[in-house]
Amino acid sequence: MTTSTLIASPSQGNPGNRRQRTFWGIALCILLLLAIILSPWIMGDAGLNPLLPQRNQSPSLAHFFGTDWLGRDMLSRSLHGMSLSLRIGLLAATMSALIGTGLGLAAGTLGGWIDAVITWIIDVFFSLPHLVLLILIAFAAGGGTTGVIIAVAFTHWTSLARVIRAETLQVNSSDYVKLSQRFGRSPLWIAYYHMVPHIIPQLFVGLILLFPHAILHEAALSFIGIGLSPHIPAIGIILAESMRHLSTGYWWLGVMPGLLLLLSVKAFDWLGENVRALLDPKTSQG
Amino acid sequence: MPILTFTAQKFLRLGLLLLAVAIFTFVLLSLSPIDPVQAYIGADMMQISPEQQQLIAERWGLDQPMVVRFWDWLGQLLQGNLGTSIVYNQPVVEVIATRFWLSLQMLAIAWLLSGILGLGLGILAGALAGSWIDRIIRLYAYTLASSPTFWVALLLLITFSVSLKVTPICCAAPPGVLTADVTIWQHLHHLLLPSITLSIIGIANITLHTRQKLIDVLHSDYILFAHAQGETLWGVIRYHGFRNLILPALTLQFASLSELFGGSVLVEQVFAYPGLGEATVQAALRSDIPLLVGIVFFSALFVYSGNTLADLAYPIVDPRIRIGGH
Amino acid sequence: MSCKNQSFLGSLGAILFGIVLASCDSAPTESADVSEPNASSQSGSEEQIILAIGGESEEGYDPTLGWGRYGSPLFQSTLLKRDADLNIVNDLATDYSVSEDGLTWTVTIREDAVFSDGEPLTATDVAYTFNQAADSGGLTDVTVLAEAIAIDDTTVELRLSQPQSTFVNRLITLGIVPEHAHGPDYARTPIGSGPYQLVQWDEGQQLIVDANPNYYGTAPGIERLVFLFVEEDAAFAAVKAGEAQVASVPQSLAVQAVEGMTLYDVDSVDNRGLMFPYVPASAGETTPNGDPIGDDVTADLAIRQAVNYAIDRQALVEGVLEGYGSVAYGPVSGLAWEEPSAAIEDAQPETAQEILAAGGWTDGDGDGVLEKDSLTAEFTLLYPANDSTRQALALSVAEMLKPIGIQANVAGKSWDEIKPAMHSNVVLFGWGSHDQTEMYNLYHSQAAQGDFYNAGYYANQAIDKTLDLAMGASSEAEAIAFWQAAQWDGEMGFTAKGDAAWAWLVNLDHTYFVNDCLNIGQPQVEPHGHGWPITANIAKWEWTCN
Repeated sequence: MTTSTLIASPSQGNPGNRRQRTFWGIALCILLLLAIILSPWIMGDAGLNPLLPQRNQSPSLAHFFGTDWLGRDMLSRSLHGMSLSLRIGLLAATMSALIGTGLGLAAGTLGGWIDAVITWIIDVFFSLPHLVLLILIAFAAGGGTTGVIIAVAFTHWTSLARVIRAETLQVNSSDYVKLSQRFGRSPLWIAYYHMVPHIIPQLFVGLILLFPHAILHEAALSFIGIGLSPHIPAIGIILAESMRHLSTGYWWLGVMPGLLLLLSVKAFDWLGENVRALLDPKTSQG
Repeated sequence: MPILTFTAQKFLRLGLLLLAVAIFTFVLLSLSPIDPVQAYIGADMMQISPEQQQLIAERWGLDQPMVVRFWDWLGQLLQGNLGTSIVYNQPVVEVIATRFWLSLQMLAIAWLLSGILGLGLGILAGALAGSWIDRIIRLYAYTLASSPTFWVALLLLITFSVSLKVTPICCAAPPGVLTADVTIWQHLHHLLLPSITLSIIGIANITLHTRQKLIDVLHSDYILFAHAQGETLWGVIRYHGFRNLILPALTLQFASLSELFGGSVLVEQVFAYPGLGEATVQAALRSDIPLLVGIVFFSALFVYSGNTLADLAYPIVDPRIRIGGH
Repeated sequence: MSCKNQSFLGSLGAILFGIVLASCDSAPTESADVSEPNASSQSGSEEQIILAIGGESEEGYDPTLGWGRYGSPLFQSTLLKRDADLNIVNDLATDYSVSEDGLTWTVTIREDAVFSDGEPLTATDVAYTFNQAADSGGLTDVTVLAEAIAIDDTTVELRLSQPQSTFVNRLITLGIVPEHAHGPDYARTPIGSGPYQLVQWDEGQQLIVDANPNYYGTAPGIERLVFLFVEEDAAFAAVKAGEAQVASVPQSLAVQAVEGMTLYDVDSVDNRGLMFPYVPASAGETTPNGDPIGDDVTADLAIRQAVNYAIDRQALVEGVLEGYGSVAYGPVSGLAWEEPSAAIEDAQPETAQEILAAGGWTDGDGDGVLEKDSLTAEFTLLYPANDSTRQALALSVAEMLKPIGIQANVAGKSWDEIKPAMHSNVVLFGWGSHDQTEMYNLYHSQAAQGDFYNAGYYANQAIDKTLDLAMGASSEAEAIAFWQAAQWDGEMGFTAKGDAAWAWLVNLDHTYFVNDCLNIGQPQVEPHGHGWPITANIAKWEWTCN
């Protein structure tokens, strides 16, 4: 389960258009993702309830994603699930931002044994396959939706912390920070006035790139189904359920929600690409 | 003796790492609603009397404070006593050994496939950067990178096993064949689709990376010079680019072992392949703590081996790098 | 380089090398090896068929511990058995008689029966099996047995501590184990006198059995059976891909057509229903394990009856079971001891609302859910997460209860999680047996011991008395009147009109896809899952194509 963090080299073209296109791209991605997040409140719960006479209908105007074996509307279920995934992703991003920035800054500025301990913790996290770590934490948290949320929220901060630690170390050794230190500024003052402005853009891009991971991991965990009720609309559960209809010809049960998931992940990829292009001085001129 | 230092260093690091994982796991499970030590008795509980239960509880020191219990637990682990799996009714070590043997074959094939294909596609795309072939390869890689593994596995299963019926639907061997009678071809037949699915995970990363690297190399001065001297594009890649490409690719490949292992959990689930990944899911779903802990340790060992192998691979590929020298 | 790495590298190399080696090894025999099992696994034959019908017994195959408690233990044989019409016929027994007082059962057994290891089966083994089952207190309930004594090689006497009208069912379901080969490992390596013997069991994957050459009955028509343990959907996929010759599928998949396969729609007494916690939680009782008992809402009769009346059972049969099933108002729907007058007119939300109103339930705050004093008409409805049919029933029932103002919060859990919660929550259970003992255990207050039996702690002294009378009757025929009275006698009973301790929903039909080449004879009316009810007449199965 991976999302490449490699970003395509910026496309060539008219620079003015490019900047505008970047803005439009960002706006479009945010709009799409917001629409998915808010969709459960817009659509309501009506489509989630079984409506036996309408079961196993292929996609139509009334049901864009078709209906399942209990007559539930697959579009509603998929959007509810995707919204849940995105909200968990949002939480994971917030937690990661807090933990990652805090620990990264602490390791980078304070150094010494604090740095050693933090680096060690990060190493331990990296020493386990991410999915195994997720399963372990979700299990220890008692499974269910809570378990999945906790597992996803608390395991994505490591790479962010690494990046921020490296960035902090780099800034720390720069001349103007040394100058501030000689002026007797406290480490906190330096962290706030010199580090934060440097780190914010890194943090921002890092967070956006973290989303696809979080979403895919949430989907994977709910696919395995650790303690989750199988009727809860989570994207992994929906896809796992489509497995039982593999050979029945009800293709829409697996294909449509899968495409929605793919689209959401790609939206974050695009968003990350565009935001990076905007923030990167090399490409943002013009 | 750099080799000795290197080995000692690696061992020490491994020991520290496993200790860290042990502490981490113990604390995590202690905080959870399930008590790890109690769970170790679980497997035997069904056949034993209450008096025996009491004895076992005392032996494990259930009434002791957490730190004491941790050392007891660690002692048992160090003696190789990982406990008995509740799900499989076997010692955890045996479960992991038999299951990993099956998974390893899948992992090995997937690893080789993704490495070779990824490198090949990356070189092709890099050499023909900007062409439609490059675009297609990039689109393919980006889409794969964003696709959930298990969903890809599902789609492949629908296509090849259910519709085309060319690959089996599940398991590691055809049903009804005694273990002793399973031939290598039947075995490979059952390995085929899971391995291919698993290899897909790794391909995207290595393709994109190799492509970027090759573009950088091709734009470097000495390559431009070689070009000017009349070397063909493929000649340049073969004699100058390849060595520069293989090293990062190899690093990426070994580093991907961690992700590959995670991927195998999902892939085995979809293909009902009885490997270690499936055991991981079973352990978590059915609260088989001894097995889960065993797998956590084992996966840490596995990832560590991958990283060490990457370190070892450098001097073989590039003699300028020496073991132990930093 | 560390030795860990060496072993890792080594094993990596070993596989690659091993693959080459093994392929060289198998080269000479390859054609025979590859084509033969492949052909058979694709199409089935007299030599081998593959059954994907679930039913793996995780505890193993020891009858004294509960294996085969619904009949047809496959590896072992029983003293008596039921034929396709549920009549009791001899199997190991050649004759049996019951003493006047109903306390002594004398059974004579055939002389030619041998275990699959070649040892003869004698009356000593029968006595040993019954004594062992009584001691172990497993799921096969023979607690009424005082002792079993072998009189001679072919005669065994079963002495009961009190008469039991259902005891004949023990002779039907308890497989005889060999005394000389019975130990702790027996459950994994069963030896018996049944039509098949165990060859290989890969737990969680498959079980391979071969015809028992020493079987005294008609030699089975199929040499080897392979039981494939896969999820119900994978079973369907296996059938569709031609990899299995018999597969049980959920009713929702039974509507699909599969080429070369016939759908067998087998009647069963396998039922599904909602079990209500009968006592209020406020009583604060717990089971011997310390799990909580009771629920304040479902302890109210009005709630239980309203649920019974509001549910549209026919809609469940049509919608969830695709018509493969029938409505059920009691635990023994369709059996000779069912009380017909216990049936109610259901799908009546108005009646349900009247009952609720009369019981003091009103919607004071207008949120659509009723209240009574400080209680809200709300309960958790648990279903086993891996059972899609129960999931569908649970969700549909919750939907049917909404209009009458009862909120059922559906939750799917594993059995491990359901067990501690099943005495204090509504659970979607499935039961169904040819044996009335089950009805006794579901409703008798003494059966509530913190386990599956009477999980809701239903207790009604009058019903207890009637059930005891039925159990203690000297014959099944005499007992039936009491069994029926316990359900509904015009004034009271445990069904909907009376205490409504459960809301029974449906009886399932078991749906199997069977290869057109396979003749499985006339299947009998099947009991609740567990094991392989369809194999009751396995010895008569035939492969008709060649």
